[in-house]
Amino acid sequence: MNNLVNMLFDKLGKGYINILTTLLSIFLGLFVSGLLMLLLGHDPIESYMLIIEFAFLDSYNIANIFTKAAPLILTALAFGFAFQAKLFNIGGQGQFYIGTMAAVFVALFMENVPMLLALLLPLLASIVAGGAWASLIGYFKARFNANEFLISMMSTYVAIAIMDYLLRVPLQEAKGEYPQTDVIPQVAQMPKLIANTPLHYGFLISLAAALIAYIILWHTRLGFHIRAVGQNRDAARFAGIDQKKIFVIVFMICGIFAGLAGFMQVTGVQYRAIQGFQPNIGAAGIGVAILGHANPFGIVIASILFSTIEVGGLMLTQTSTLPSSIIYVMQGLVVIFVVISYFVRSKILTAKQKRELARGEEA
Amino acid sequence: MTILLILSRALHMSTPLILGSIAEVYSEKTGVMNIAIEGVFLVGAWGGFIGAYTYESILVGFIFAFLCGIIIGLIYGLITIKFKQHQIVTGVALNFLLAGLTVYLFRVVFGIRTSPARISTLSRIIIPGLSRIPIIGPILFTQNIMTYLVLLFVPLAYWVLFKTRVGLIIRSTGSNPEAVEAAGISVEKVRYSTIIVTSGITAVAGSFYVLGFLGMFTQDIIGGRGWIAFAICFLGNWHPIGALFGALAFGLADGLSVYFQTAGIQVIPNEFLIAIPYIFTIVATIARRRFNVPAYLGVPYVKEQN
Repeated sequence: MNNLVNMLFDKLGKGYINILTTLLSIFLGLFVSGLLMLLLGHDPIESYMLIIEFAFLDSYNIANIFTKAAPLILTALAFGFAFQAKLFNIGGQGQFYIGTMAAVFVALFMENVPMLLALLLPLLASIVAGGAWASLIGYFKARFNANEFLISMMSTYVAIAIMDYLLRVPLQEAKGEYPQTDVIPQVAQMPKLIANTPLHYGFLISLAAALIAYIILWHTRLGFHIRAVGQNRDAARFAGIDQKKIFVIVFMICGIFAGLAGFMQVTGVQYRAIQGFQPNIGAAGIGVAILGHANPFGIVIASILFSTIEVGGLMLTQTSTLPSSIIYVMQGLVVIFVVISYFVRSKILTAKQKRELARGEEA
Repeated sequence: MTILLILSRALHMSTPLILGSIAEVYSEKTGVMNIAIEGVFLVGAWGGFIGAYTYESILVGFIFAFLCGIIIGLIYGLITIKFKQHQIVTGVALNFLLAGLTVYLFRVVFGIRTSPARISTLSRIIIPGLSRIPIIGPILFTQNIMTYLVLLFVPLAYWVLFKTRVGLIIRSTGSNPEAVEAAGISVEKVRYSTIIVTSGITAVAGSFYVLGFLGMFTQDIIGGRGWIAFAICFLGNWHPIGALFGALAFGLADGLSVYFQTAGIQVIPNEFLIAIPYIFTIVATIARRRFNVPAYLGVPYVKEQN
């Protein structure tokens, strides 16, 4: 049996082993979640069937999966892109809020302008604000060798405070009832990709962002430098790569991604900014990035998986006594098993290499 | 009078931060950052509530919290120390899971309720005599039992870390693991046992928000305070006394913001008062020139193969 497994692994390439171990960890995550469903007297198999049935119930729900995946792809890229340089951007949530506020601020002024401009200006605002906000983290890292993990973490709480203030005083709705802005003018609302569904053009922006991240990382000089810094800081420095510049640029790009997510939630979904909305988008993005191995295409697929669980899961929890927290349990367990699978994978690859070496010696 | 009240509250609010950040100092001294700290705080609050509510005893609450923390420490240690996976990735993933899992399991235990389950919190113990000392008395000697114990814990933590053999082993494990291994002590064992015990202590710190403060469990009860304890470990330069002062500073900021809010005094917008501790952390992280970072912090130990 063991030999058979070994033979199978020897036949498979590294990419297939990645996919295989990831699929296995998704299965294990959902399996353990199923056991937890039993605690509340729910049949896991029935529940999963319902989740799938609800998620693909009609065109509205299917479109909703992609609508939810759109900002998730971007906040996941905000973590995953930095991870390629072994930098830790835990501040995606804050960058998302900064992008949100910049986009809504500009969008609110968009009266009597052509639609293209009414969408383009808030988009630019979110990019500039998110990018500038996050590049500060990179700058602190570059200039003061500050711990980027800690600073990006703290920056989210500062961003939340800024957002709360803006929504309580200067940008609060005219009615003055809730901490939210007025609805943005119709002309600044993103058109739907498919009529009568929530799916807006933002999903295409997210796909483009993932493609751009891939091209930057693997087909440009900058990307080569970013990955070199990620693999070995010392070697990169000796090769003459300006690490400090890379730190700032990487964080700026991450901030642009997360800021864009804010733009599309404002102009594509909510049509206004609301205090504390989407409070888990940053953390979920990190989970998605881990699940997608910090690879832009992996991130797109992982986002769609997360959103499918969410759309199907939400409908299941609304129609049964299962609480909605089961959705986050499923997502969380999947992510934990993926982290463990990194270990299993490296074991498999080392063993495989050893066997190859051994065979080489025999020959 | 008001100032005394603010300072007394500051000490109260800094209690869990002192305990949690010193636990973090210990685990980081062995080379393991406990990135799961936010989740461990939350699990502590969760377990603390369930223990205290079920057995109608705050002491059982603390014990439950400790046990829950140990379980998370075991898992975190297994993945980061045995499996040698990245500490930040593992910790962030665990926090993500625990945020959902605590809420789900809370529902499993308590079902759907019309009003939230509550417990009575630790009462203040006013120490006769000492509490009459001007200024110091009302601040220091009118706290609850946990604050007293935590204040006694600080010198103990200092003493163990710097004056005992156990402390020496812990410090060496983070600064020179090869030497520890050469002395016949397993680096993995030191790291594993430290992360397990400190996770238990961290969870007790988290349980304070339920048992000593709010009297109920909510999903956002911790709301980033675990991260604050994590930051205090850095700001306190990996030293228990430094952690004490760092935690007191955060407690003071907390006390002030609550005072300004309740008194309706509007010097600067409240949101900025709330943001001060976080801005302070960022500024302090940038401004510090010299850090006592354990040399092997965050680096998994791979034994030389002979």
